[in-house]
Amino acid sequence: MASPVLLCVGLSHREVPIAVREQVAVSADDLPEKLRRLKAIPGVREAFLVSTCNRLEIFSVADSRTVADDLLREVGPAGAPHAVVRSDDDALTHLFRVAASLDSMVVGEAQILGQIKDAHETAKLHGAAGAYFARLMAKAQSAAKRVRTETQIARGAVSVASVAVQLARKVLGNLAGRTVLLVGAGEMAQLAARELHQSSASELLVANRSSARAEEIAREVAGVAVNLAELPALLERADVVLCSTGAREPVVTHEMMVRALKARRYRPAFLIDLALPRNVEPSVNELENVYVYDMDDLERVAAGNRELREQEVARAEEIVREEREHAHGVAKSEVERTLAQLAALDEKQKKAVQAMASAIVNKLLHGPTSRLREEQGGPLAEAAAELFGLAEGPGADPVANPVANPPEGEAADVLPISGRK
Amino acid sequence: MLAARRPLCNQSEAMTTALVHIALSAYVAAAVFFLVWLVRPQRPAAPDATSRLVSAGRAMLLVGVVLHLASFAAARAQGGIATAGLGGDEWRGGQLFSLLAAVTVAGYLILDFRYKLPVAGAFVAPFTVAVMVPAHLVQTGARQFAPSLTHSAALALHVGAAALGSAALGLAFALSLLYLLGEKQIKNKHPGRLFSRLPSLDLIDRAGWRLSVWGFAFLSIAIATGSLVSKESTGASFPLQPKEGFAVLAWALLAALIQARLVAGWRGRRVALLVVAGFLLLVGTYAGLFAAPPQASTLSMLVPGGG
Repeated sequence: MASPVLLCVGLSHREVPIAVREQVAVSADDLPEKLRRLKAIPGVREAFLVSTCNRLEIFSVADSRTVADDLLREVGPAGAPHAVVRSDDDALTHLFRVAASLDSMVVGEAQILGQIKDAHETAKLHGAAGAYFARLMAKAQSAAKRVRTETQIARGAVSVASVAVQLARKVLGNLAGRTVLLVGAGEMAQLAARELHQSSASELLVANRSSARAEEIAREVAGVAVNLAELPALLERADVVLCSTGAREPVVTHEMMVRALKARRYRPAFLIDLALPRNVEPSVNELENVYVYDMDDLERVAAGNRELREQEVARAEEIVREEREHAHGVAKSEVERTLAQLAALDEKQKKAVQAMASAIVNKLLHGPTSRLREEQGGPLAEAAAELFGLAEGPGADPVANPVANPPEGEAADVLPISGRK
Repeated sequence: MLAARRPLCNQSEAMTTALVHIALSAYVAAAVFFLVWLVRPQRPAAPDATSRLVSAGRAMLLVGVVLHLASFAAARAQGGIATAGLGGDEWRGGQLFSLLAAVTVAGYLILDFRYKLPVAGAFVAPFTVAVMVPAHLVQTGARQFAPSLTHSAALALHVGAAALGSAALGLAFALSLLYLLGEKQIKNKHPGRLFSRLPSLDLIDRAGWRLSVWGFAFLSIAIATGSLVSKESTGASFPLQPKEGFAVLAWALLAALIQARLVAGWRGRRVALLVVAGFLLLVGTYAGLFAAPPQASTLSMLVPGGG
């Protein structure tokens, strides 16, 4: 059987503006069907898909590089001409960089790692991702954690939500006494709403298509549920509006805002559109005293953060490279050395040896790592890190266990990294 | 302005000159501190260094304005100063600008104390230097007061109100420019280096609004008292001169602005543009004042609104 190839087909805020990204975005409702189609592509062994406001990435372990053409078609006609195809090391590095937030709109933001983990979990749930990606994800998470703990990249760095909150303050000043309206259920918008509320905004209103969902979110963010049908009246009241609905058409229109503006006697309003497709008509920004920021706009502001943290980014990139090479080198050499000594083994037996090696390592490390986890960064953890030359906490050691925790029911398969030449 | 005003150069005059020169030096130092603060890249790692520059700038402005005002007191003690329109028998253009500079700096310090607006200091301090240097170094021809006005209370009120109004509107003008700049950056989503230094648009808008209202109030007093002064000196309450025309236009514009804000809720960009226009009309008033031939400069021509 040929060595599997890691492929990545995708596009992000770096390649295309939001107008294109909103055409190719995959909603949570459509994701299972999309994963099923990806898995059904001949030659695709595993696949998972990350669709966020800023990117659509399809990762796949396939039999050959030609599968990339089929993956490209899945990006859709609007996105395919702009999509970037990566394979093997490039794809691996890209996964690590994305997970470590080095490719993010706001470098150092924390949400992307969670989004990738969620995407992977969903793919696992629907049978699209298996042991390959389980191991790759473990490595990607390890690299991301090292980046966060060993560099200053996340210090002062801020999620897109935080950038949005900073801009709201730039327009409205002190947020005390201001009303915040959250429209939709997007996670980033909820984060921003929570942050605004904590910044002494006096009122947080939550509107959703479903009143039950609105109640639920309102409880989570300590807000008050309101009826989405009253949006025009709510716009008259709200100073900051956070939109993140899954609607395909604009929720806040130019005409609606003109009326609201007059009713609010031209008091400034700041609208943050974190949805894809966008929820606020772009022309609303042309109105006086109304400021609309979508994801791409936030990128412009965030660009300053990137500049300020250039050195930290360079260090983080170095960690990603180290992690990748280290994993390559150690896993590859160990497996090759063992298999060379057992040259007579057939493919099935080789897999069994790999699984056994992994199991031994896991069992040997289980006790110490559990105790170290309980210790949570205390003196014992520091001593262990020093003793074993670990760069970070236990359980994330990339070398000791490159095939850590394969999904249940899936014995160790061919190592995704060492198996490739 | 105060130096060499009279042939007799006594000790009191020397002290006045020294005070003014030290005040000017302090303004220059303040301008340097504020401008360095403005142009150097923001360093989150060293916020103390940043705040030290601002503190030094504020301190220098405070020292400058105290000495500057003390120089007026010293000049007054030496036998009358025409700057404030009292006690002297002649006045020079530089004196008026020196007074305006001092009032503007004092107004800025009050504004900064209330709203914390160091970025406005970066405009006010260099502006003060730019006004003070020619005011002191360029000798302009002396203009005689009408004898009946040497001790006129209306004139004192007129000059004082005009100076305060001009300073308030000058500061409102500076804030309006900052607002337009900040608003443009936020609208266009291209924050420049100045962006991080700017306070919130809301704060600039509120501060600018209050200054405009104060400016309007003082300008109203200046125009009313100016009419009295004109009556005392020329017999005409409201001579039709460019200065008076500009002053009335500025006043009418500000009145319309206040009406629009209170009734229709106007704010933000359009209000900032109106303040800019109002201040430019006020500048036209001063241009009218100095464009008038010296022999025509009865005391009524001293300040805007002076009828």
